[in-house]
Parts: sequence; C-alpha cells; structure tokens
Amino acid sequence: MPAPAKGSELRVKIGGEAGFGIKAAGQTLARSFVASGLEIFDLTEYPSLIRGGHNTYTLRVSPSAISSHVEAVDVLVALNRESIDLHQSELVDGGAVIYDPEDEKNADWQAPERLLAVPVPLMRLAKDAGGPIMRNTVALGAVLALVGFPIDPLADGLRAQFAHKAPEIAEQNVLAATAGHEHATEAAATFGVTLEPVPDAPRRLLVDGNEAIGLGALAAGIGFYAAYPMTPASSVLHFMAAHERDASVVVKHTEDEIAAMNMVVGAAFTGARAMCASAGGGFALMVEAFGMAGVSESAVVVGVFTRPGPATGLPTWTEQSDLRYVLHAAQGEFPRVVLAPGDRADAFELAWKAFNLADQLQTPVVILGDSYLSDNRQSVPYFDLDAVVVDRGKLVTEGNIAEHPDALGQTGEYLRYKLADYGVSVRALPGVKGATQLGNSYEHDEYGYGSAGEAADVRVAQNDKRMRKLELARNLVPRPAVFGAEAADADVAVLFFGTTKGPALEAMRWLEADGVKVAAMQVVTLSPFPADDVAVFLGAARRSIIIEGNYTGQLQGLVREQCLRDVDESLHRYDGRPFSPEQVYAKLKEVAENA
Amino acid sequence: MPEVAEIQRALAPTWCPGCGNFNMQKALSEVLAESGMGFEEYVMVWGIGCHGNGADFYRSQGFHGLHGRALPLATGIALTNPDLKVIVEMGDGDGYGIGGNHFIHSVRRNIDMVAIFHNNQIYGLTTGQASPTSDQFMRTPSTPGGVVEEPVNPVGVAVAQGATFVARGFAGDVEHLKDLYRQAIAHKGFAVVDVYQPCVTWNKINTFKWFRDRVYKLEELEGYDPTDRTAAFELSMSTFHELTCAPDECKIPIGVFYREEDSFTYQDGLPQLDRPMWKHAEAPRDIGAILEKFE
Repeated sequence: MPAPAKGSELRVKIGGEAGFGIKAAGQTLARSFVASGLEIFDLTEYPSLIRGGHNTYTLRVSPSAISSHVEAVDVLVALNRESIDLHQSELVDGGAVIYDPEDEKNADWQAPERLLAVPVPLMRLAKDAGGPIMRNTVALGAVLALVGFPIDPLADGLRAQFAHKAPEIAEQNVLAATAGHEHATEAAATFGVTLEPVPDAPRRLLVDGNEAIGLGALAAGIGFYAAYPMTPASSVLHFMAAHERDASVVVKHTEDEIAAMNMVVGAAFTGARAMCASAGGGFALMVEAFGMAGVSESAVVVGVFTRPGPATGLPTWTEQSDLRYVLHAAQGEFPRVVLAPGDRADAFELAWKAFNLADQLQTPVVILGDSYLSDNRQSVPYFDLDAVVVDRGKLVTEGNIAEHPDALGQTGEYLRYKLADYGVSVRALPGVKGATQLGNSYEHDEYGYGSAGEAADVRVAQNDKRMRKLELARNLVPRPAVFGAEAADADVAVLFFGTTKGPALEAMRWLEADGVKVAAMQVVTLSPFPADDVAVFLGAARRSIIIEGNYTGQLQGLVREQCLRDVDESLHRYDGRPFSPEQVYAKLKEVAENA
Repeated sequence: MPEVAEIQRALAPTWCPGCGNFNMQKALSEVLAESGMGFEEYVMVWGIGCHGNGADFYRSQGFHGLHGRALPLATGIALTNPDLKVIVEMGDGDGYGIGGNHFIHSVRRNIDMVAIFHNNQIYGLTTGQASPTSDQFMRTPSTPGGVVEEPVNPVGVAVAQGATFVARGFAGDVEHLKDLYRQAIAHKGFAVVDVYQPCVTWNKINTFKWFRDRVYKLEELEGYDPTDRTAAFELSMSTFHELTCAPDECKIPIGVFYREEDSFTYQDGLPQLDRPMWKHAEAPRDIGAILEKFE
C-alpha cells in the first residue's frame, strides 16, 4: 500500500484565489477536528501575492497518528473553476468534488466517471446566511456532511473564532455551515467515507512550526525578539508581538535584519534571552553580526527558515538548501550550534533548549527550519511544560564580582574572556559591581581590549578557548533520533535532517505494512556534527540512503567530510515542494528491493 | 564614583598626536566623572574607526561593535535594561555612511540614549578616503577628481527626522563640548551630538585652525531659539558651503540646535520594560494560559 486508501482517513483540498480566506477556513475545520480527538496535518500552498493567484489548503485528518501531508486527495473543495481543472486529477478513485453548480464558469464541467460530483450552491447559501464571504464556511459544512461528521464541533469552533468580533457574525457563519451540511448530507451515502469523533482523546495542540518555536522561546524566558518581516519567518514576529505584554517581551520590528541581529547581541549583553529569525535572505544581512556574536561570546538564538534561493528565490515555497550556509556563515572560525527540528514537537523542545545551549556555551545557536515547518500545522501531544528547564550557564546577574573569585584575574579585576576549561568564562552582566568589561567584535585579551588581542599568543589562546566549546557542546546537544528497525536488521537505512522527518516516518509506516524493514536516523544537531553516531548507523546498514531537499547533497557532503564514508543512494527535491511520503515510499521500496 | 583617572585606567591611547579624539575623551571622561554615575550605571558602545579604538582607552562597561552598527547594538542594550545609561560613540563614515539607515531610524525612535559622532570628514583608520561628510570637491585617494556628492547634513537629517536633542560640538573647545555632553546625558530621549574633530593626519583642509576661524556659539547668537525646529533646520544648511570658503564666507555654528523636553521616548512605549529583561529568564515562564489557545 503506497498510501492509506480512501476510507481510513480523510484528505481535503480547498482551492481558490488568494484572498478567498482559504487558509483561515481550512484551519477552522482543522481545529474542529482536533477538538474532536482526531489527528491532523495541513499544507498551505500559495504564491507570493495578496490577491489573485491560485492558493490551496490541504487538510489530512485521521483517527490514528500521522506525521505529514500526503499527495492523495479524497475531497476537493473547488471555490473556482481553476481549482477543478488543476486538481481533479489528484483525487483518488471515488473522490468527491464539492463545487458551485450556479457558478457559470462551472457550467460546462462534467465530473469524470471515477469521481463523485457534489454540487452545492455555495454562493447562494452564503448570501442567504448573511454574505458571500461565507462561501468557505458553507463548503466546510458540506465537507463534514460528506463524511457523516456532526456539525457541532465546527459550530463551536466558529463561535469561538468570531467571539472577539461580533456574536451575530458567529451565528451567520454557523447558519452558513449548517446550510452546507444539510445540502451535502444526501451525497454522503454515495461517498461512503465516515469519520467519527474520537472520544476521550488526550489533550492535544494544533500549532505550526513558527508557533511552536515561539512558544518554546516564551517558555525559555525570552526577553527580546527582533526581526524584519520575511516569509516564512514573519509569523514568529507576529506571535512574539502578540504576546509582548502578557508575557513581558520586548519585541522590535527593525529597519533591517542587520539591525535585528545587532540588537539581539546588545540584548544578550544585558543578559536578556534574545532571539531573531528570518529566511536565508534575511540571515545574509545578519551574518556579520552573527560572527560578532561568536567572537564576543554572546548567547544568542537565530532562527533561519529556508525557502528556495538564491536571492529572492521562491518566497512562499520550501527547501533544505541552507544547511551548508548556516554551518559556514560569517568570516573566520567560531563555534556554533545548529539544531534542525523535524516537526512541531521538535520545534518547541529545540527552541527552549537552544536558549540553554546558547547560555551554557556563550555562543550563537541556530534553529534551522524551513517553510514546510513554519507554515503548516500539525496536531501534537500537549507540550510538556514541566520538562522545560532554564540553565543560564556561568552567569552572574547581580551583586559584586569580587564574590566570584573564579571570574577574576591575578590582579583581582574581572576578566570577561578569562581563559577557561572548555572555553566558557564567567559572564557578569552590566550592573554587577566591579564587572567593567569590554564586549568586542575584535579579537581581544581576557579583559576584552581589542588592540591587546593582536598579540599572536593572545589570539591563539582566545581562539582556542572559543573553539574548545565545541567539545563541551558535544555533551550538551541533542543526539540523532533513531526510528524503526535497527540499522543492521533493516532492508534500508535512511538518513535525513529537518522536516524530511515527517514524510520519511509516514513512508516507513507504509513500508512496515508491506514487510519492508526501514531504519531511520534524523540528524537533529548539525553542528557539532554527530560523526560517531552517524558513522555507526551507516556502518551497520546493508543499504543506505540520504534524503534531503536540495540539489547538491549538503548533508551527504557533510557525512563524507565528517564520517569519511558515503551512502549508497540519495533522493533530492528542490522544486519548492516538500517531499511527499508517496515519493519517499517509492524510493525506499526501490532501494530495499534492489538490495 | 570613578575619577577621571579611573575612567581612563585602560590601554594607552594610540591616536595620532594632536588628534581631536584626545579632547573628546577628555571632555567625556570629565563629564562622566562629575555625573556621579558609578561604573555599573552606564554602558558605552563604539563602532569601528579611529573613534572606536577609544574602546581600549576607557575603563567602562562597554561593547566595541561592528562598523556602522553601534546604534542597533546599543539599542538592544537600552531596550533590555532600563537601569543603564547608554552612550554610543561613532565616526562619520561609521554613523552617517554605512550606518546611515540606523541613524535615521534611531532618531525617529527617540530611544533614550546619547549618540556622539566623531566627525572628522575623512576616513582615518583606512587611510584618508572621502567620508559622507567630506565637503564637495575634496580630493582624497578614493576621490582623486574630488568628491562629487554633497555632504551628509547630520544636524539637518536629525532635525528633519524628529530628533529631540541635536547639538554640534568642536573638539577644539573642550569646555563647550563638556557642556553639550552634560545636556545630552541629562536629556530624556535620543540625544545627537555631532562633534567636529579634526583629523591631523588625513584631512588637511578642515584643520583645528580652519574651525577656530569659523565656529561660533549658538548660545551667543542673538534671538536663537533652540526649541524652534524650523530655525534649527535652516541653520543646519550651513553644512553646505564651498570647499575653499574664506572664514567670513562660511560660519560654522556649534551648540544646541534643537531640543524638546518631555518627549515620548521609545522606552516610554514599553511598559513591559519595567525591569532588566534577564529577570524574566530566572525560571521557565509559565505559558500555560497561552498554550490553551492552541488546543
């Protein structure tokens, strides 16, 4: 079985013009399913514009665990004719098309025999309920009717969603949804897929990657967030700004990314937990100050969320092509930690851990994501807030530095960059008595003075001190996550990083059902690279493959460099779309069968 | 409270003999000493250039940042610890050229901090190229045919962009400069102090003598009202003059061009900044109520 057949789960695609409110409508539906105990994964695809152009929102709903979107579609909600023409071929046999028969552009459309046409007068029912804007809501009601799902969870969701606007708008939407529901009930018998609420399901969250990262940063005690808007990172800025008062965070929309990164270094200097995020293009502007964070040993967290490049590239699409870039960005050499969450649960956990690592190591930490992580929502187990810890490393926040003899030099003065085992010196915040110090973008001596850093022995001592942090980091950073069979027992061993995790885990479940044994390793920390773990994993494998969303094989190159070994096969994608589990399934099956 | 000698208990200055930076350091050190602020009460931030080498010549809480980026670095400090007075030192290339964007936006933000510009109208540390404030037609190694552009008018830009304190000093008059520094440090809001600071090595035109022959004090200008923004803007046009103008053809005003008391600062707009932001990271933040919105 390449993908779950029609019936065991539901895949709905809503298509229409940008500005139709497709994503908002889809997410309302998603919330009502999650509130009913079902698992969801959504996928929003949109061009870089505000009105016009074709958008889709795809929602996958299942009573059992899922970890990605799929290509298969059971129900297409076509808000315009273009959606029918573009997407009817994606429907499974017996799939349904919900469309407006009174839209004159649909007049000449005949459903192919293999599909079920579900005509619903979307516009008329919306107008009857209160306005044409509620066309989406009518369609949502129709989708629920088609799978025999009650209307109540959606009605509750609509009331909650519009509570802050006006109760009458909420009731109009409920009316619209109910009209759609009633209209499509008849077609349900022919469609033959039933979805039911799951009673007593555990509490879950519905978050996208940026929300998960934002929540992780809030939990970690972030005090300062700065950013310049850039897709797909902008919604972290919105999230932080929305919580600047209730969570007490200073949030700054800056004049450019250069300012954002420099402000973050300044904020870290006062001891605030500080972060900025952007896409690769914005990070390009941050790079010089990113290096300053390295040489000045500043505890900063930087989100880099990849969209296809170079330059402006494909603004609203996804890729995994910034791995080498974040590993090497900035002139000179300094230690950095690079963490790549694979899904939204990872994103929350790695976000709060990133702040601890930045403090423990006093060096920049990158959270490497992508549009697939940022833009799309997934139901996840409730985040474990009790697991969150704050570890600020060697930090003196108040009092007199004289009480900390390990921070002082032989003459009794505070040395911010005192040579230390594993390279981490005691960091005293401005305001601590006696702790005059000079943070410096120049190489510097133990106090921080720049011209003193030009002495050859001082340069080497400070450089070595900083680079020793990588040894310490190896014991602090998350190790690779492994899934499925033992590498030695597996028909194929697959290595990946970041959001390839979702489609890969999904495909593995399907392969297991086929009797194919797969071992998977997700490289969570890309720097310092877990060479030993990866080498052992690949060494034990009979056949191995790397799957990564780029052209040049950046992870594969890293494996060659760090592990002095290679994999047998690779799968790449760089068309702006995430890997689908169908694609991963087919490739892994081929590799396993040719073993 | 640190004495001047303590404030300067650092590495020995390496500025060229006679450099205007010496007097600027003297003025600032003396004002800091008399301010009564302890070392732990203020932070100094420097950009890159000859002025920035001064980072090594002060004992202070400080940060020597990147070329052109002192203002955002300082902003990060000011916006996360309300207990610290932030004093930023920049050069003319540093602050008005590569950092010009940050200058404009820092002014309009009215962040409560002091921004001092060491303006010698030349690039010193990189050996004498034209700077954004070099006068038009000045010949330098990067402009052998003469600078084509008009110079940046820092006072005019600051006033036009809504600055709440704009002053210009001259490194040849330490007592006058000290008075400007005192007012800038006392000012609530973004205080711009542009200081003509002759480069004795690379700028053979705008010398100490050149300025002494041309500067006059605004406080001695009869009828000048430093709360009149239009008058300040008009006066800033004195930036534009012939390269070879005679002393009586181009007079250079120094002093406070413009001031606005009780302005709304950026920090005033941040009620959450009621304590140093590190205090929010002493333990995990309770986000239970926020998380419920994602159920």
